[in-house]
Amino acid sequence: MTKKVLLLLALMLIASPMIFAQEAANPADTNAVAQAHAQWLAISAGFAMAIASSLCGLAQGKAIASAVEGMARNPGAAKAIQLAMLIGLAFIESLALYTLLIVFVKVK
Amino acid sequence: MPESELWVTKVFNDYLAGAGNWALGLVKMPPQARPWADFVVMQVLVVLVLMLVVALLRPRLSAGRPGKFQQTFELIYEFVHGQAEEQVGHAAHRYVAFFGVIFIYILSSNLIGLIPCFESPTMNPSVTAGCAVATFCYYHAVGIQANGWRYVLHFLGPMPALAPLMFPIEVVSHLARMLSLTVRLYANMFAGEQVTLVFLNLTKFAAPVIFMGLHVFVGVVQAYIFMLLAMVYVGGAVAHEH
Repeated sequence: MTKKVLLLLALMLIASPMIFAQEAANPADTNAVAQAHAQWLAISAGFAMAIASSLCGLAQGKAIASAVEGMARNPGAAKAIQLAMLIGLAFIESLALYTLLIVFVKVK
Repeated sequence: MPESELWVTKVFNDYLAGAGNWALGLVKMPPQARPWADFVVMQVLVVLVLMLVVALLRPRLSAGRPGKFQQTFELIYEFVHGQAEEQVGHAAHRYVAFFGVIFIYILSSNLIGLIPCFESPTMNPSVTAGCAVATFCYYHAVGIQANGWRYVLHFLGPMPALAPLMFPIEVVSHLARMLSLTVRLYANMFAGEQVTLVFLNLTKFAAPVIFMGLHVFVGVVQAYIFMLLAMVYVGGAVAHEH
């Protein structure tokens, strides 16, 4: 049953260029094409940012959860754990910000 | 869209356009009507403020009876030196100057954007790229100074058999360090300002203060992270291969 589902998905993947291929551009309606292009860009920018932010949120949640648990188990090490947590949060945050940068650079 | 200028930039462009065009001429660029850009003027301002602070500090230094000013700077120095010892090891005192400059400069650049009518120079990718390229050149120079020509062994990986594979990977990874340093600082500062502007658009008054408070924290953390990464890279470069 799983093998058949996988085979079906693989066939759809291979057939997708033939089904969804764009027609050759007609110079008469470049304005409509540009508008559609801008709409797709806006939608994909929204999705990209949403995916990046949600995964960043999950990762930061995991980091804070382990940090808080560590601080509860070993209150003497709280300062060092807090420092490591802040550094880790800043690195994870910057990954989501790379996506925001692409959105700002690509969307006019 | 017409460029709007800060009032400081307007003053520079009105009275010092000749000096700006001379500087452009040094790098063979054509003279322009208003040569000073916002981020250039803000960087000059940050440097002047830091020089003023240090000039005020120097005569007040005393070994026997330190005042509050001196103790504040001793705190900053202890912080940078302690972190450097942790990351670089025993020879950290040689590199504390660079780490301290990076930390204080990026911290001041990040925080000056919160004052109304001023803008963070680190909001511009050219400024953060300059800091990243300076860090890159510094840690390679320091690595060659500490290790001699055996520094190239750092790029070749653990085994000689893997060297042809490891060398391109290491080169790309080192270049990616420059990129990530640039983009991390630039995106954090830029996003902070954009978020403040969007909320100012929505609520018209006073609500973005919360975001500016967060921006203070983010600015401090990003300056610390930049310094910490510089220390990690220098620590990796001066490590003596066993």
